[in-house]
Amino acid sequence: MIEAIIIYGLISSGTYALLALGFTLVYGVSGVVNMAHGSLFMLAAYLYFAFTSQLAIGIFWASIIAILATGIMGSILYRLLISPIINDEVAVLVVTIGTALIFEQAIILRFRSHLNPVPSFVSGYFQILGVKVTFASLLAFTMALVLFLILGVFLSRSKAGRAMRALSQDREAALLMGVNIERLYMMTMAISAAIAAIAGILITASQTGAAYPSMWYHPLYMSFAIVILGGLGSVRGTLVGALIIAYTELTFIFLVSAAMALAGAAVMAVMILMLLLRPKGLFGRRIEME
Amino acid sequence: MVKKYFRNIYLSFLVHVFDIPPRFLAFLMLIIFLLLPITGLTESILIMLITANLFAIYGASWDLLVGRTGQISLGHALFFGIGGYTTALLYVNLQLEPWASVSIAALIGFLVAGVIGFPCLRVKGPYLALVTMAFPLIMMGLVYYFKDITGGEYGISGIPRFFPFLGYFQQRLAEYYFTLVLMLISSIIIYKIANSKTGIVFVSILDDELASKASGINVTKYKIMAFAISGLFTSLAGAAYAHIFRSVSASSFTLSMSFIPVIMTIFGGIGTIYGPISAAYILQVLDRYVLSVRIPVSTEWRNIIYAAIVIILILKWPRGIARIVVDKLEDIEEARPVEIVYKKMKKKEESSGGSINAPS
Amino acid sequence: MHLLEVENLMKSFGGLTAVKNVSFTVDEGEMIGIIGPNGAGKTTLFNLITGYLKADSGTIKFRGEKITRLPPHKIANKGLARTFQIVRPFRHLPTIANIMVALNSPRGKKKIEWIKTPERKAMEMLEDVGLSEMMLEPAENLSHGDLKRLEIARALALEPDLLLLDEPFGGLSPIETEYMVKSIQRMHLDGHTIVIVEHKLHALMRLVKRVIVMHNGEKIAEGTPEEIAKNDTVIEVYLGKGI
Repeated sequence: MIEAIIIYGLISSGTYALLALGFTLVYGVSGVVNMAHGSLFMLAAYLYFAFTSQLAIGIFWASIIAILATGIMGSILYRLLISPIINDEVAVLVVTIGTALIFEQAIILRFRSHLNPVPSFVSGYFQILGVKVTFASLLAFTMALVLFLILGVFLSRSKAGRAMRALSQDREAALLMGVNIERLYMMTMAISAAIAAIAGILITASQTGAAYPSMWYHPLYMSFAIVILGGLGSVRGTLVGALIIAYTELTFIFLVSAAMALAGAAVMAVMILMLLLRPKGLFGRRIEME
Repeated sequence: MVKKYFRNIYLSFLVHVFDIPPRFLAFLMLIIFLLLPITGLTESILIMLITANLFAIYGASWDLLVGRTGQISLGHALFFGIGGYTTALLYVNLQLEPWASVSIAALIGFLVAGVIGFPCLRVKGPYLALVTMAFPLIMMGLVYYFKDITGGEYGISGIPRFFPFLGYFQQRLAEYYFTLVLMLISSIIIYKIANSKTGIVFVSILDDELASKASGINVTKYKIMAFAISGLFTSLAGAAYAHIFRSVSASSFTLSMSFIPVIMTIFGGIGTIYGPISAAYILQVLDRYVLSVRIPVSTEWRNIIYAAIVIILILKWPRGIARIVVDKLEDIEEARPVEIVYKKMKKKEESSGGSINAPS
Repeated sequence: MHLLEVENLMKSFGGLTAVKNVSFTVDEGEMIGIIGPNGAGKTTLFNLITGYLKADSGTIKFRGEKITRLPPHKIANKGLARTFQIVRPFRHLPTIANIMVALNSPRGKKKIEWIKTPERKAMEMLEDVGLSEMMLEPAENLSHGDLKRLEIARALALEPDLLLLDEPFGGLSPIETEYMVKSIQRMHLDGHTIVIVEHKLHALMRLVKRVIVMHNGEKIAEGTPEEIAKNDTVIEVYLGKGI
């Protein structure tokens, strides 16, 4: 039992960390809390489903196209709906929630409400410590890690990446250095959307196995729980937060037999607890004045 | 959006040109509402109006919290659902009469909201919004888990009506009048609070918490107060809703449910109190009549339209949601917190024979 | 007993020490000034005294009572009121309502004579600072000078024993400055104890009897305006700013 929790928790945290990274990236760089993050996750999963089942495109290319399409969708979302009101945090929240709700309805219109099964990458499983681990989830975990590393390199080596970090750490200084905000924000959004897409395909293909219209809630809540836990804008925090959240969720699922929903509730409770004790998260920065 | 603009012009026109005091207008609308059923309404229209009455309370109470103290709640469905479940559970377990269980439900909403207010104190802006969203999720988890008590995903049904002794159509009629009275009382109370000295303090918190503290205001106390009052009325609406539609389920706790007052206030004008109240009716008519009967549109498209309207409205007013408060306050003079001050002083001056503009 | 006693106050932010071992006292009825170049720690000091920041160490006593750890609103209710360097009006409220907020605090309510309504008292306070005409205007429509006056009226609404003014002359024209000087003098004559942080030394030096000079978070000099004007350290610190 415990071994299962440990192993699954680790695998889960990998993909969760990736997902949450997209969320925190956008917030850190542009200050946008994108409530449609889960919707982009869902969009990619549905595109993957549609391409593989209805258009009979291979898994690999279906994924690539889905990721690209979602990335573009993210940019469009930014340009049309977020950019005009980016200075008003609350407006951004409401608009992105509205967008997420519209997405859900649109998906229902196109694909109906039932579960749409999504093909896995590889089949088969192996055993570690008496725990069954599918190759698919191992693959997902590995890919998540690889992507995390790639992003790390991008953020520290590339010009754009360093600009993003600069904006995230000291906005005013970055602005003074003539960073092209619009383009950078759009790029960040596109990357975040692509990350959400990748996570969407990875998690759906290896764990849930199906796409359904309300599937955008869970990734969204997990993302913001992780990011609030770890501290908005902190990469290290995201990793730690992902571990904590993944393990909390799994512990509840295994030990308390019913519930996905209760596990979600537990995760939220942990998040609220963190906000009470340390509002800026584990690695977030503190603001002094009351 | 266009409708709102015209409604304001129309009202301003009446107020300024014909010099009809807004109070009288409100009275007129009241008479209309009271006499409406005489025109021969069908049951479905009655249901529409009943829903509007209850959502009006929901919207007004949300507006008091968000529009007047600036604490963004994206999880108000929590209170709506708690209202519904409390009254349902009280009936199932204790066989309480609706009147009693609804009252207790409202009280529970008051208390829970007061408690929720505390963790919310420590966070602002997006963090606050996220925290408020978390609570209904927790409730949903609890509801699903303790399914023996709460009925799990099926919820609780067979909740007793308010007026079981009446015939079928008469019941709807009675429920209409009942919810109308409920709405009027709630709206008046909320409106009065918003435009009282406490309301002035609320707006000071919205505008500048630090300055409010410097003025000796215990901001914490007022923030919790706003939460508690808001929770009370939302739970009241949720409880009444449960008795009229006779069931309650976990769908009361969804994000869509929490988004309803957001739609209403953005449509009607945030911070105005009467804005979301009027929007409740306009949106219900839009939803159940125009877009269902007149121009049949699927549920999904309707939801898309509402969300899209909200998005368009916000994009149109990029100065921020709070900015709309001032605009709306200036449109209808009665709404300004200023008016209470002005009137009191006018009365005093008239009785003492002086003039308002004292020598400076 | 001193009205205000600040003892060995220390405050650091990360590696930066904003207030280093500052001590001073203020007695009832005094009017003193605190000056110093930008970044000297004056506003931080105010924020520490009024409860907006938590001191790392040291004590602050008001009427002999320790207020070091109290939150801002409690300190205000004890009779220690402040204004802000950058005005903080309640934008959506009409001018008179800005005052009424303060009158709704515990102290504010106590200090209204039973015969008056809060509206009446608020109106009188506005008259005192010359803002009666703007009474019903939303505060956001007021000019900068008006806002500065509103800021002070709001603090006075609490009928404080000690008034901390943070750069009351900031951004004022010469005429407005004169008016402000007279207003502050009147407040002092009315019995308020006042501490002013200010850059405009002309105005300040005329008003106060005692000056404290701060630099890099430390108190470097204290004395009458004449003494300070001749103090070498002070002149050096200001580097060319004539007095």
